[in-house]
Amino acid sequence: MYAIITISIVAIIVLFFGAFGKKKMILPVIFVGLPLAFIVNLMGWNQSIHYFNEMYIDDNFTIAFNGLLLFIALLIFVFAPVYYKSVKRPLEDIYALILFSLVGGLMMTAFGNLVMLFLGIETLSLSLYLLAGSKKSDPRSNEAAMKYFLTGSFASGFLLFGIALLYGACGSFNLEDIKLYVIQNQANIPAMFSIGLLLMAVGLAFKVGAAPFHFWIPDVYEGSPTLITTYMATVGKVAAFAAFFRLINSSFGDVDFLWKTSLIVFAVATILIGNFAALYQDSVKRMMAYSGVAHAGYMLIAIIALKGNAAGVLLLYSVSYSIATITAFAVLMMVRKETGSFSIKSFNGLAKHNPTVAFAMTIAMLSLAGIPPLIGFSAKYQLFVSAIEQGQLPLVIIAIVGSMVSVYYYLRPVVAMYFTRSIESTPFEAAKLYKKQILFVALLLIILSFIPGLIINLI
Amino acid sequence: MGSASLIVLLIIAIAFAVVAVYIGRIFGTSSTNSVKGEPYECGIETKGETWVQFHIGYYLFALLFLVFDVEIVFLFPWATVIRELGVVALVEIFFFTLFLFLGLLYAYKKKALSWM
Repeated sequence: MYAIITISIVAIIVLFFGAFGKKKMILPVIFVGLPLAFIVNLMGWNQSIHYFNEMYIDDNFTIAFNGLLLFIALLIFVFAPVYYKSVKRPLEDIYALILFSLVGGLMMTAFGNLVMLFLGIETLSLSLYLLAGSKKSDPRSNEAAMKYFLTGSFASGFLLFGIALLYGACGSFNLEDIKLYVIQNQANIPAMFSIGLLLMAVGLAFKVGAAPFHFWIPDVYEGSPTLITTYMATVGKVAAFAAFFRLINSSFGDVDFLWKTSLIVFAVATILIGNFAALYQDSVKRMMAYSGVAHAGYMLIAIIALKGNAAGVLLLYSVSYSIATITAFAVLMMVRKETGSFSIKSFNGLAKHNPTVAFAMTIAMLSLAGIPPLIGFSAKYQLFVSAIEQGQLPLVIIAIVGSMVSVYYYLRPVVAMYFTRSIESTPFEAAKLYKKQILFVALLLIILSFIPGLIINLI
Repeated sequence: MGSASLIVLLIIAIAFAVVAVYIGRIFGTSSTNSVKGEPYECGIETKGETWVQFHIGYYLFALLFLVFDVEIVFLFPWATVIRELGVVALVEIFFFTLFLFLGLLYAYKKKALSWM
């Protein structure tokens, strides 16, 4: 709760520093404000406080995911000054919008009431629509914003209709009341209730980017400025999954026959479409977008295998996915700055003149593919184990097949970096700017690989 | 029970839309004349191009209007029960107006209030 207040105040301060012309103060305020919010967030650990008539629940699940979201946002702000180095126009609106959307994300992990869920999703999405179009002179960025806005508001309509139908069936927005209703009426669930639940699942599947509602992801991720894409692919996805998990876990655990089949279909379609479409991409940015789709499929398995320690598994998977994605996108930002293109060819021979950056990219790709010593492997392993314990063996087999396919496209940039010779052999100018930050996140990824048990047992 | 009423509602909704579209075609009389093709059925004809671009200032004003619009939506119900809610609500509404004022101040500093 207090993290939300802190972030809101920091965002307003950032806006006003920009408006009053004190541009040098903006980033220091953010770098003080985000760690402060992180600490304030941790203070409610093990207390499980409920605010505003159960509207906002500050339990350990909330605190763990909010801590992750704040940490990811901080990592992204580490790259903001170098990414926007050559941009002359004032940036306080972009930074403030990122912080405002973060507030939406923090609400989504903590809702105890469907109205709060909708409010959080809209706060996150509305800021992201604007951020997707924040490179005003680039037509692709404008196109991405328009597509994201149209499809996103359509999905919000589905979600809202689902909420309305659920309210019609249960007479309450409160998750606890809905759970009570489910327990009492388990035998004869009305059609209104199941249709409402299905519509909500469709709305949320759109927000997390699960097939068959993934069609917006490649275009929007490719058109948006890379820093914003990183933010969308990490904070947006993690927050949406936390919301999805909390919704299913706290109210609909007892009626899994209503949603399990459709979620399994979503997961299988997402894993197959994401991985196979990523094979055919020549642009690394678009490939990463499809990789995001595929990972959404794996994360859906954590929701399907609800019983057991699914929350911990989801947290571990979110950590591994987010940090590896940030590393990969950071390398991509650097390569794009130097070569002006996102294509796999621009990675040619990178290992020769920038070994550090190539190493970071390799670590990120191997972790995303799930190669053993790294955190991506432990995350996938725990996920599959918990799914098999719930009797979802066919689903896990499909996921493993998808995972094996993914090794091919994740290794393509690695092969280009190490085994293809480039035309030019001078070190990248941009590497000087990005090197330290990229090395930092890559090392973070390696350190996290040693402590998956710590993360998974957190909640 | 719930399922049946939902299906009935769906059928009625579709039937209503279909009937509303075709009832005019069945019972209405239709005639064509030169006036029918004109853009307006009353008033004078426009001079020049009708697809003119509006000044961006109008949009800014509409956005700023929203600030006061939201303010009045919340202030009015509060004002009707001000005695029952007491001092706490007074302080809360003060904070609320403070945040809206910050929005206005930001717009002022970004020169959204100056025309052209």
